[in-house]
Amino acid sequence: MLFASFRYSGEYGGLAPWYYIEDGGFTLDLTLENWRRLFETEIYLSLLIKSLTYALLTTLICVLMAYPLALMIARSSKRYRDLLLLLVILPFWSNFLVRIYAWMIIFSPQGALTAALNVVTSALGLEPISLMFSSTAVITCLVYVHLPFMILPLYANLEKHDNRLLDAAQDLGANRFQCFWLITWPLSLPGIYAGAVLVFIPSLGIFAIPDLLGGTNGIMIGNVIKQQFVESRDWPFGSVLSLVLTAITLLLVLLAAKLGRPAGEDNGKK
Amino acid sequence: MKKILCCFVLCVSQIAMAEKALHLFNWNDYIAEDTVTRFEEQCGCKVVQDYFSATEEMMAKLLAGAGDYDVVIPTQNAVEALIKQDFLLPLDKSKLSNLGNTAKGFLDKAYDPGNVYSLPYAFTTTLVGYNEEKIAELGINPSDWSIIFDPTVLAKIKGKVTVMDDSEELFGAALKYLGYSINDNDEKHLKEAQAVILKAKPYWAAFNSSSYIKELTVGNIWVAHGYSSDMFQARADAAEAGRDFSVNFVLPKQGAVLALDNMVIPKKARDPELALQFINFMMAPENAAELTNVVGTGNPNAAATPFIEPEILKISAIFPNDEVQKSLETVSARNAKQRRLINKLWTEIKVR
Repeated sequence: MLFASFRYSGEYGGLAPWYYIEDGGFTLDLTLENWRRLFETEIYLSLLIKSLTYALLTTLICVLMAYPLALMIARSSKRYRDLLLLLVILPFWSNFLVRIYAWMIIFSPQGALTAALNVVTSALGLEPISLMFSSTAVITCLVYVHLPFMILPLYANLEKHDNRLLDAAQDLGANRFQCFWLITWPLSLPGIYAGAVLVFIPSLGIFAIPDLLGGTNGIMIGNVIKQQFVESRDWPFGSVLSLVLTAITLLLVLLAAKLGRPAGEDNGKK
Repeated sequence: MKKILCCFVLCVSQIAMAEKALHLFNWNDYIAEDTVTRFEEQCGCKVVQDYFSATEEMMAKLLAGAGDYDVVIPTQNAVEALIKQDFLLPLDKSKLSNLGNTAKGFLDKAYDPGNVYSLPYAFTTTLVGYNEEKIAELGINPSDWSIIFDPTVLAKIKGKVTVMDDSEELFGAALKYLGYSINDNDEKHLKEAQAVILKAKPYWAAFNSSSYIKELTVGNIWVAHGYSSDMFQARADAAEAGRDFSVNFVLPKQGAVLALDNMVIPKKARDPELALQFINFMMAPENAAELTNVVGTGNPNAAATPFIEPEILKISAIFPNDEVQKSLETVSARNAKQRRLINKLWTEIKVR
């Protein structure tokens, strides 16, 4: 891919030969043009920032929604636990695209959700709103699709906590908030980091959701990459964009891995 | 042991029998289901269909190696590109008894002189489909490209318009709106077209090439840029569903893109014999007419005319008369440099 990013695109897609032989001489036919194109306007970088914001927002909302749920599942009795976990996994039994199409029906101007919201907005004297083809729709769907990836690692982490720690804290006079903030939360951080990586990376590169729900300005970096490979048949520029995305993802994963290492390990070494 | 072997042989022969299949790569909603069923009965095979919704999408898939379809239905400019790529099998005309049915005006075109590799299947125009009641209520003239490009008109229908997610079609429409040719490759003119598109973009709900039929029929969208055959379907669907509005379509007065779709056989086809049989079948008058009656395409088959419903023959956007045809243009294949420019402009439109 790195090699492709320095080559010209072929006449009908694919890649042009990277050398030609002319008058018996061997000439390399490589270019920096594809990389220059990335920086000559600010639009690609601002799109990258927008995609990062969407993915970050998705991850944050996923944490906020998944944490109480995972805690509840981990603390519920064994009898219900399996059932609750099954309910979390249940959406995977239907196809990803089918679930997005289901959201398209929910968001459509004729749908009950939009109709109900517009009753409220018109009562307040505001313009009717449209949910379909908006960034709200994209982020909602991103959260919906990736939520289980946050719940499961969090649950796996929370389930292993030693309850005696909480009992001890209570005996020593900690209230319920202190118990959570000083014991459960720090212990659950590796679970959060693991979940965050599982949510952040796929939602950064996704293109199906913005394509179907995003409207004219809801697109993300994944859509532009797909456009280069499919519609424009410009593999070299597609490679440039993919490389940038991969580099950013790798950096963030390294960061998460560093943060995600249990604090105890470092202390132990001292 | 013998029994098991017998079973095995039976199974294998079953698979072998089921394997006789015609692999068709076609535009979505571009063949009548009854026609497919009849062909399956006649040839004793299965028709396996794959769909695409844009020429570029089809080319990307074919050129990336998925070339083992028996029949593909590309538009004229794609035929030209595929011939240059040495991708197609010359048609064995001796096996096509219905060859004489095609109207002379659709044969021997510049993209495939002598029709060595391709035969016309159907044609469509790219135009504007609209919600008749809403547009009349707002006093907008639908037979003008300003309905999707002029911000003063769009202000009345903000968020209720979709345009095609297809650089060729959208640039074609914008060039026509500006009074240029669809095949204009002058960088200045293309940049003007880009500016028109960027100014109109905030008013559009989405770039949509695949689900505008549904959005229009349900009433989510009031104006859609798309193919005449799709608009024909949206109109029929809305009427059938008993909506309290009707969908109609019209050719903009500045002119539009005419797409002539063709049947071709790739070199890598699994069963070229069956492919020829299918092409011949589609050229039979009643099958060609069914395509028009059910899907609403224009028809290059002269012998089919008596079988086509007279109502459809009257619609100028489907069967344009000579006067209207002068304003229509077909897209020619662009060379690599021209494609790079238009792709760059198109990517900028999508990203901005």
